[in-house]
Parts: sequence; structure tokens; C-alpha cells
Amino acid sequence: MLEVDHVRKEFGSVRAVRDVSLSVAQGTTFGILGPNGAGKTTTMRMILGILTPDGGSVRWNGGSVGRDSRRVFGYLPEERGIYGKMKVREQITYFARLHGLRSPGVEPRVARWIDRLGLGDVAGRPCSELSKGNQQKVQVACAAVHEPQLLVLDEPFSGLDPVNADVLLSLLNELKAQGTALILSSHQMWQLEELCTSFSIISGGENRINGTLAELRARWPTRVVRVAPASPGLAEILARVDGASAAGEANGAIDYSMPASTDFAALLRRLVAHAQVTRFEAMEPSLNELYLHAVGVQA
Amino acid sequence: MNDIVTVFSAEFARRIRSGPFLIGLIIGIVGLMIMTRLPMWLENLTQNQTHRIILAGEPALTARAATLLKNDYIVTAQTTHVRPEVKRLEASKAAAQIVFSRASGVLHVTVYARDPAEISQDRLRRDLMPMSIAELTGLPGARIDGALAFPLQVNAIGSKFASEDAATQAHTLVFTLIFVLYLVVLINSQLIMSSVAEEKTSRIAELLVATVDPVALLAGKILASTALAIVQLVVWIAVGVLFTSGHTNSAGAGSAIDVGALFTSNVVTPETVLIFFGLFLIALLQLSTMFAGVASMINRTEDLGSLSGPLVIPVVFALFAAMAAIDVPDAAWAVVCSFIPIVSPFVLFARISVSNVPGWEIALAFLVNLLALAAIAYGSAKLYRVGMLLYGRAPTPMQIWRTLTT
Repeated sequence: MLEVDHVRKEFGSVRAVRDVSLSVAQGTTFGILGPNGAGKTTTMRMILGILTPDGGSVRWNGGSVGRDSRRVFGYLPEERGIYGKMKVREQITYFARLHGLRSPGVEPRVARWIDRLGLGDVAGRPCSELSKGNQQKVQVACAAVHEPQLLVLDEPFSGLDPVNADVLLSLLNELKAQGTALILSSHQMWQLEELCTSFSIISGGENRINGTLAELRARWPTRVVRVAPASPGLAEILARVDGASAAGEANGAIDYSMPASTDFAALLRRLVAHAQVTRFEAMEPSLNELYLHAVGVQA
Repeated sequence: MNDIVTVFSAEFARRIRSGPFLIGLIIGIVGLMIMTRLPMWLENLTQNQTHRIILAGEPALTARAATLLKNDYIVTAQTTHVRPEVKRLEASKAAAQIVFSRASGVLHVTVYARDPAEISQDRLRRDLMPMSIAELTGLPGARIDGALAFPLQVNAIGSKFASEDAATQAHTLVFTLIFVLYLVVLINSQLIMSSVAEEKTSRIAELLVATVDPVALLAGKILASTALAIVQLVVWIAVGVLFTSGHTNSAGAGSAIDVGALFTSNVVTPETVLIFFGLFLIALLQLSTMFAGVASMINRTEDLGSLSGPLVIPVVFALFAAMAAIDVPDAAWAVVCSFIPIVSPFVLFARISVSNVPGWEIALAFLVNLLALAAIAYGSAKLYRVGMLLYGRAPTPMQIWRTLTT
């Protein structure tokens, strides 16, 4: 269990992280969202022990993060690097050893990861000769070859084509199933929505909101109701709902925004009683909407 | 410890196969081969270029002069035509015509040279000295030759070397070793600087420092660099011994020094070798640690030159100071330089090799150097820890200073 408690970090006069708290349980996936410069990377670096917080604490299984916990952590930084002249197998083995794996276990483990990521054909080639996608796979292998208890991935999907993104997604799901706690930051909301169980939206170095997607949605004050056909009669009923406002019309359907507390079943009954309704949907806010709202941008 | 061993092994394996290391090693071997053979080649070259001369004047004078000058010049003709002619010089491919005459019992020598710089006045005076004395005193030549060949013996007293020849050979060896030390230290410091800069600029640094403690990472790299430098040094010295053993300069068939013979004749003692390796390791560790720390602050490989420049200056100074100290090992400035970190390993080695340096000076110099190494390691670790995650503009000297002092 990772517990980040009110951490703070300053670089000279710049306050990179003012106050961030979060907790991540084993086998769960936690998404950190925020605009550029929000303090996500600094928070991740503090979690990994690369940076020491100026205030607050980071605890792993009740203890402070030190050399031993580094052994069970894995990290894929946003700015990815690779030893260009080193061969793929050699590079993954090097990082496996740095993570504490020793012979005879290290070789089969590396072979398994090469196979798992489909790098078999290029295992003997220098990394600089690989495509960008394959280089990213090597970087993922370097970060996770020791099958860490906590894997922190900063923008893991950036630069990956859909096929390789899918490979990474499956891999992360496998690790999650094995009990690895994952912390991800990404601007690819749909991937986070698919992977993560909990989220923290950070802006200006502070948590704006924390919680599971269901909890975040429960706190969202409105829902958008989509009704088809887009007839004036149905629109009139929708407009009469307390706090409702028109939110647009597209593809023969009308959208109305209304309070989350609205009795949608009763509303549907009223609509059906008035005319034939071919579509009725009370839409939950997407992660993207939640994010934009939290960081202060109008959805 | 395991982390250091892992970094060491990977770094050593990676760099020993790298182009810059192999090129440096080969250039060094070629350089050493040339250095050890150069004196012989130069000697041969000089012999082949012994100047041809024409002697003019009274036959008795030119005949005597021909005998005296035969070791340094090739006398192509002796003539009574004292008027110089370029055509005559060209015909016999001579560099000069030397005209001999006598007046009031004094020998007069006039040289007509196509290139006056090619004729050494000192050599001519030395060679013709017996002739001048004979003219002045009227003594027979054989008696003058006998008087000039008086017994002369140089004995060592309070010296490290038994003979002038041994001292000369030792000076040459120390000169060569100081140059080798300079090359190895500088090449490896630059290599570790490139290696750190490569990790920083290729952005692999963040992954590395998230995995292992930065200090362990730095220590592994420095130890690998040291091991590579030892490999380089051993190869170079082996090549040096191989190319010099069994040859002597005096025979005109080999190098200026016979390293193998120096070891067997006690000119090089085990203590000298031990001290050389000790100082070599100190110099290497001091510089590679310093270069690695500074390299962690750069963001672009283009900045390497501007940051390494100021670091190289003390090393270049150390090289020249050590070379000068070979001739004046007990000068006050040389003693002072023996206690200045970075400069000290070079100068102290030069002094120890050619003179009897007091034991307390050696002990104090080692202590100062080890303390300096500890301070450099502390500062570099601090720079490295901060620098490896520092991206953006190149740091100013003030920023580096602030990092070191906060």
C-alpha cells in the first residue's frame, strides 16, 4: 500500500508541488491527471524516492521509501532514454540486474519479457536500430522486468501506435492481475478510464479531486440527457425540468443538461406518455469532462 | 555493493568495446612505438644528413682539419683555391667551403655556407680547437690531443643513480611515464564525461536514478573507468617494454631507453613502480570523479567542451610542472606543487623518480591527495545527484557552486 500524505516540493522559488495526497492499494491502478506543469512528474519522482519531499511523507507498506523499496518499484519516465549501442537483451538484462535480479533467474526472466513483448526478432540488435514502438517496448521491459509491486508510468502511451498501445494495455492489465499496483499519468483519457480504478486530478501542485470514477461522477452536479427524436414536444417537456438547459442537438437527438438529482425514470415516463421515444440516455460525465471541470476549463 | 558491481560490469563491458576506447588504445600503442623508436630514427636521419664540406687553404692546414672534422662532416674535397664559388659547392653537393689561413701565429677560419644555419660554429670551434692551440703554441698535434684527452670521471654522490648514463635513462623514462600518465588520465576523464553526458542527454538518467542510488551509479562508473585506464596503461607499458628491451641507443640500433634493462639494473625500483601506480590511481580517481560530476550538469553534448576546458587546464599545468621538475626536483616550487591536488601526482612522481624525496613529504602528499579525493567525491556526488535530473539551460559556474555549497 502506497500512502502519499500532503507532500510538498519546491525548487528555489518555484513551488512544483504544494499539497498532494493519495493512496494506492496493491493490485489497483491509479491515474494521475493534470495539465502540463501541474506537478505530476515531481509527485511521481517523490513517490519513487528520486526526490525528497520538502514536507509531508511517502510511505510504502507503512515504512518510508528507501533503497529496499526501490527494488520493488518500477518506473517508466516520460522522457525515455535508451542505450542506443546496447543490444536489446543486454539492456533488459542490465536493468534486471540493477533491480536486484541475479543469475540463474535473470536470463529466463529476460527471455520471458522479450517473448511477452514480441521482441524476439530484434533481441540481438542494438536498440538504436529499432523502430520507436519497439524501443518503447524495450523501455517498458526495463522498467517492469523485475515484476515490481509498484509500477509508475509517466505518459506510457505517448508515441505508441494503436497496436503497440493495445499490447501495452494488455501487459498492464496482466501486471495488475498479478497484484502490481500501477500509477499512471496520461493525457489519453480513454485509456486511463479503461485501466484505472481511482484517480487524482492535480492542478497547480494540488489535488483538485481524488476518488474512484464512480465517486467522482457522483460528485458531478449535472447529467446530460439525450432524447430522440428531436421533436419540439419532447424538448418542451425536457425544458420544464427544474434546472434544465438545452445542451445542443445532433443526429436527430436533443441534449439537455439537468441536475444529477433529477428523477430520470419519472422523466422517461413523462416523455413516453407524450410521444414515441426512440432514444433516452442519461449520460454520466466522462473522465475528460471531470478533468476539464476540475482544472477549471469549461467542458 | 551489488549495484556498484552491476554498474561496474556493464560499464566496463560497454566501454571496452567502444570505438573511442579502442581508438585511444591503438593511438597510444602507435604513439609509444614511435616515441621509443624516434631517437633511433632521428639519429639515423642525422647521420644521413651529415653535411658535406670543402676545405680550402694550405694543404698542411686542410689535411690536419680534415682529420679533426671527419667525425662531424664529410670532407668532399681539399683545395688550395680559397676563393669560394657556388658552382664548386653545387658540383660536390657541399653545404659549405671552409677556408683556413694563418696570420701572426693565429689560425683563421672563414666559412662560406649556402645556409649558414646548417653550420654549427660551436661544433667547428670544438673540432678545430687542437689545431688552433697547435698554431698558437707550436706544440705537435699528438701532444695536444693527448693533453685534451685528460682523464675525466663523474662520480655520483648523494644521487639516486650510479652513473650519468643511468640518470639520463631514468630521466627519459620518467618523462615518458609522465606523458603516459597524462594521456591515460585525460583520455579516461574525457571518456567518463562523455558517458555521463550520454546518459543525461539520452534521457536514460532518470530511469537509472530511479533504479539505483545515484552515488552507487557514479561509483560504478568511476571504478569501471579506472579499470579501463589500468588496462590501457598495462597495454601501453607492455608495448613500451617490448619495443625497447634489448636495444640501446649507444649502439644506434634501438630506442633511447632500454626499459627492460632499467628494471634489471635497479634504475627502476619496485618502490618507484608502486608509487607510480599509487599516484596514477589517485590522479585518475580525482579527475574522473570531477569530470563525471561536472558532466552531470550538462544538457547537450555540445556543452561538454565548454565545461571540460577549465578542468583540463590544471592537468596541462601539472604535465608541464612535472616535466620541469625532472630537472630541478628539489626546487621550492616543485616541493609546493607536490602538495597541490591534481598537480601533485604528476610532480611528486617526477621528483621521486629522479631524486631522494624525504619520506614525510611523500606521506604528507599522499594524505593531502586522499583528502582532496574524498572532497572531490563528496562534491561530485552532490552535483551528480542534482545534475542528473536537471534539464533546461546549461548551468552557470555560479549554479554549480550553489549546488556544491547547499
